[in-house]
Amino acid sequence: MNESTARPRPPRSLCHRLPPAVVLLLSVSAIALGMFLPPAHWPSHGALLCVLFAALGLARVPFAVVAGRLAIFLGFALLFAISVPLSQGFRGGFEIAQGILFRGTESFLAGLWLISVVPFERLLATLRRLGVPAILIAILAFMYRFLFVLWNELDTMRAARRARTFDRGGLAFRWRNAAQMIGMLLIRSLGRSERVYGAMCARGWDGTLRTLDE
Amino acid sequence: MTPSAADTVLEVSGLSFGYPNGRQALDNVRFTLRRGEILGIVGPSGAGKSTLLLHLNGLLPLRPEPTRAATNGAAVHVAGLSVGAANLAEVRRRVGFLFQDPDDQLFCPTVRDDVAFGPLNLGLPRAEVERRITASLGAVGLEGFESRSTLQLSLGERKRVCLAGVLACQPLILALDEPFSNLDPRARRTLVDVLRRFEGSQIIATHELDVVVELCNRVIVLDEGAIRADGPPASVLADEALMERHGLEVPLRLQLSRKPTP
Repeated sequence: MNESTARPRPPRSLCHRLPPAVVLLLSVSAIALGMFLPPAHWPSHGALLCVLFAALGLARVPFAVVAGRLAIFLGFALLFAISVPLSQGFRGGFEIAQGILFRGTESFLAGLWLISVVPFERLLATLRRLGVPAILIAILAFMYRFLFVLWNELDTMRAARRARTFDRGGLAFRWRNAAQMIGMLLIRSLGRSERVYGAMCARGWDGTLRTLDE
Repeated sequence: MTPSAADTVLEVSGLSFGYPNGRQALDNVRFTLRRGEILGIVGPSGAGKSTLLLHLNGLLPLRPEPTRAATNGAAVHVAGLSVGAANLAEVRRRVGFLFQDPDDQLFCPTVRDDVAFGPLNLGLPRAEVERRITASLGAVGLEGFESRSTLQLSLGERKRVCLAGVLACQPLILALDEPFSNLDPRARRTLVDVLRRFEGSQIIATHELDVVVELCNRVIVLDEGAIRADGPPASVLADEALMERHGLEVPLRLQLSRKPTP
């Protein structure tokens, strides 16, 4: 992921013209609605899911993007859902498992719609206006900013690794490589955080967060 | 006080510093910087250039053991103010530091937020902060970039946004760590022009010796933590034996102007 492709500009749609606060409210309501519906009531959850897919379609989020991200999410959600009947007993466990899958998927889709429609910087500004503490906003902003920096770093490391492994080695070899790379990334991130902190201090950071919008 | 002392914006006297791993990074470094002087610091990698710059901003002695910090703190004075825990805020206002990697320095989501970071920490009123954002973005040639995301800038633009963030604090001295590294010729040219317009003093640690000849009016050769030469770039950097000894080479600009064609 390089920086020009990191955040593709989604095509303008009806959803993009909504004020960010409205988009935020709608997605939070969708999540809340999913929580209030009975955990294993298929028709109501099905209807909500249809609405969410329709919203994603309306926002012109490519189907491949939705499907790809959903697949990753469902992998984790399934693993978690399956563990419930196994540990809680099959009688009530299945209902809870269904609830986890439904509510999880709904929350995920609502979140995906939110971040597809509102650019992250505007979302942060909106949250700030709605009274979310500045320090929380700052943490989110930092996370978002350095996610891309670290991703680029990982990309570079991967390319460097590939250039010298000549496509050799089996699965074990690759896994060991991946583990080493994650370790390296951790060390680099620690170094990076030290330098960022230094840079903050250089511009007068004293532990108090001050923003322009107060 | 002699007239020249009044002109001194930075005084480094007997600065030594060793990293916790035992490597001696700086060894009894002493020099003074006068108002408006543009000083280049050159030397091979690992010579102590970055370490020296970090000291000017009080960023380094804080980390190692306090005894060392105490002795080191007294060795650097910025416009008469000793660099130490008591004066840190004021020292950092006076010395603007540009880091080598703009990704270390650019941590806010938008350009406007990032340039505002320093002035806000200075406790300036909003109107003044806004004025400084506009002024410093103008100074680096990035007018109208306020609402741009910091993720969508080229390396040269990111460097200049970082510089704008530093200029917005209105420092007396700019300390720049490898400001030209990885820049393409046009971005480097733009940055040189921006720096030339800055009216305060500057200390530039760099490997770009040609830029030193062009931009600086004084150069210090640093190697193994000690100052090996100090003088005008045209004479210091033209000394072939000296350059050779310290892992440098006579910049092309000086070679061309000196050597007659056979």
